[in-house]
This record gives sequence, structure tokens and C-alpha cells, in this order.
Amino acid sequence: MSAGARTDDSRDLRDAFRRWRANRPFWGGLLLTLGGAEILLTEKASLKVVLHIGMQGLAGYLLPTTMLLCGLLILFNPAQRLFYSLLGILLSLGTWVTSNLGGFFVGLLLGAVGSCLAFGWLPDQKPRRRLLRREHA
Amino acid sequence: MASSPDATASNGSTPETPESGSAAGGQDRRGRVRLRRAAVMAIPATAVAAGLMIATAQGALGVQFAISGMPFTVTATELNGTGFEQFGGLDNMAEDSPNAGDTGGQVLIVTSAIKNATLDHLCQSVDLGGTNLLITAGSGSDKVQATDLTTDSTELSGNASFNNIEIGNDASTLTKAGVQGPKGVFSQQADTVRIANLRQTNYATTAGVFKLPGLKLRFSDQGC
Repeated sequence: MSAGARTDDSRDLRDAFRRWRANRPFWGGLLLTLGGAEILLTEKASLKVVLHIGMQGLAGYLLPTTMLLCGLLILFNPAQRLFYSLLGILLSLGTWVTSNLGGFFVGLLLGAVGSCLAFGWLPDQKPRRRLLRREHA
Repeated sequence: MASSPDATASNGSTPETPESGSAAGGQDRRGRVRLRRAAVMAIPATAVAAGLMIATAQGALGVQFAISGMPFTVTATELNGTGFEQFGGLDNMAEDSPNAGDTGGQVLIVTSAIKNATLDHLCQSVDLGGTNLLITAGSGSDKVQATDLTTDSTELSGNASFNNIEIGNDASTLTKAGVQGPKGVFSQQADTVRIANLRQTNYATTAGVFKLPGLKLRFSDQGC
């Protein structure tokens, strides 16, 4: 998000982003994306070495990559969030076995929390009470 | 489900909910995480995650490692393996890697491949600057088992003995561990290998499946 909040332009952008965020499981998708990215970052073996190993080595890259894609799809295609979040949680748990103990646990945790948030998200909810009070004041 | 085509952040065209964005109508209705709904997934997921960790710690489940990038140390009091290959090679670092120094981003390494390996008192440590990430396993009666273990080492020491060793093969003709190196490179292979007091400095390790009974992962001031 651009920080400069003085011009009307950036205010509009902020509002647009807020509305965009309100219509999708934003944190769920973001955490799942970050989890996938973190696991990929912990894997630095050259592709040549991975190809030596074959399928098992490939799965180590395949699962976090698909995690990352699921996270992005939750953000940009929230209508299908249930499927993506179910896939996301299975992949997150799978990375424990295939990818450096789930990116040394960090990526697994991010992915699992993100998937659960996306799964539990519902559109069109009543505003929080805190928000109500502020609007009335 | 009335979903609009994929919205992008820049133009802000969102799938409109009926009352969203009505400035005069008071509050716009936002999507929100319902705790109970999230718990439906969170509880079984936590149970499965706990099960995976317990299974791993007991050595029932193999864990695959594919780490490298920074050099790290692996030690074991004893390594026994069948199907051993060794050949030279060159590893490339990522473009503009901070670890490159004056090496031009390339490291000369020895690739060792072992088809099936058993390691006693395995210890692996990565120097993170100030602290070490230390992983130990196989200290009890169950030993660490690995299949398709491939290590790119810059240093390797220990007391080794080989059975049926062939030295001087072309690296592309190796057969014992199912891995081939580049053509025209010196290599050696053996049916079995036994190394006592193994100590390796590895630049890149890829392994097939690791079974790690008695796994302990922690930060420590001292490496292996």
C-alpha cells in the first residue's frame, strides 16, 4: 500500500483497497501465499541436484508452489475459497514431509493458519460493533 | 455465486455485494472470518500436524530435506552405506549472492551419492551468524536411515573403507547409486562404504528420504 496519504488520489486508492479487501478472505490468502513463499525460500538446492533425485525431490518444490498459487487464487478468485483452502491445508501439512519440515515449521504454520482463516471467512457480514460505534459518533 | 472475473488491486473493481460501498447507507457490509467455521478446519488440521510431528520424532515417517545455499556441517559417528559414488562438480550460487565473495559465485564441490545409508549420531548445524541451527537425530538405539543421499561437499573427513571400489571411471558411466555426473570428469564408485567419525562441510545437500528417530531441532551457540 502506498503510504503518502495527503492527496485525494491516495485516499481513493486506500478506500478502493479497503473495499477490495472487505470482499475476500484477505489475511487467509495472504498468509497462505507467504507460507508457500517461505518454504520455497528455504529450498536452495540447484535444480540440477533436484533432477538427480527425481520425483521425491520435485515434490519438495511442487507442494509449496501450489500452496503459493492457492493463496493467490483465494485473493483473486474468492468465490472458490473453500476448495482452495482445503487444498491449501492439505498441501501445508504435506510440506512437513516433503520440504524441509515445512520450511522449518514457519511456512507450515503460516499456511495452516491462512487456510483456516480462508475456510472460516464468510462474505457480507454485519459490521463489527467497534465499527458501528465509530460511525455513529 | 455471483462472482465477477478476477479483480486486480490496481483498478479496484471488486465483486460487488448488494450494499457495499454505499456511503449514505451507513455501514458497508464486510466479509469476516467466523470463528466456529474456521475451527471446523483448524481442529482436525492441528491434530494431523501433531500426528505428523510425533510420527517423525519416532522415526516412523521419512522426512525429505532439500536445503543448502549456506555451507553447513554434518557429522556422524558412523556411516554405513551400499551403493556409493563420488565425482567432482561445480555449484553455482544465485545471481549476486552475498555469499559469493571473490569466488565469482561458483564453488568447486565433490558430489557423494549413496543409495542406502545408515548414520549413527547424526548432527547437522548451520551457522546463522551468532547462533547455530542444530539438528540431531539417531542418538538412541534407532539409527538414521537415508535413501538416495546426495551431498555436495567442500570438505569430507573420516576413516573410510570401501568394498569393490572402482577409481577413475568417467562420471557419466556410474551405476552403483543411480546418479550420473558430467562427461569427462574423474569419479569413483564402490559397492559398500563405511566411514567412521564422518565430518562433512556441505554446500548443498539433497537427499531422498530421511528417517530421523529421536529428532531434535534447536538453536545452539555451538555447532557440531
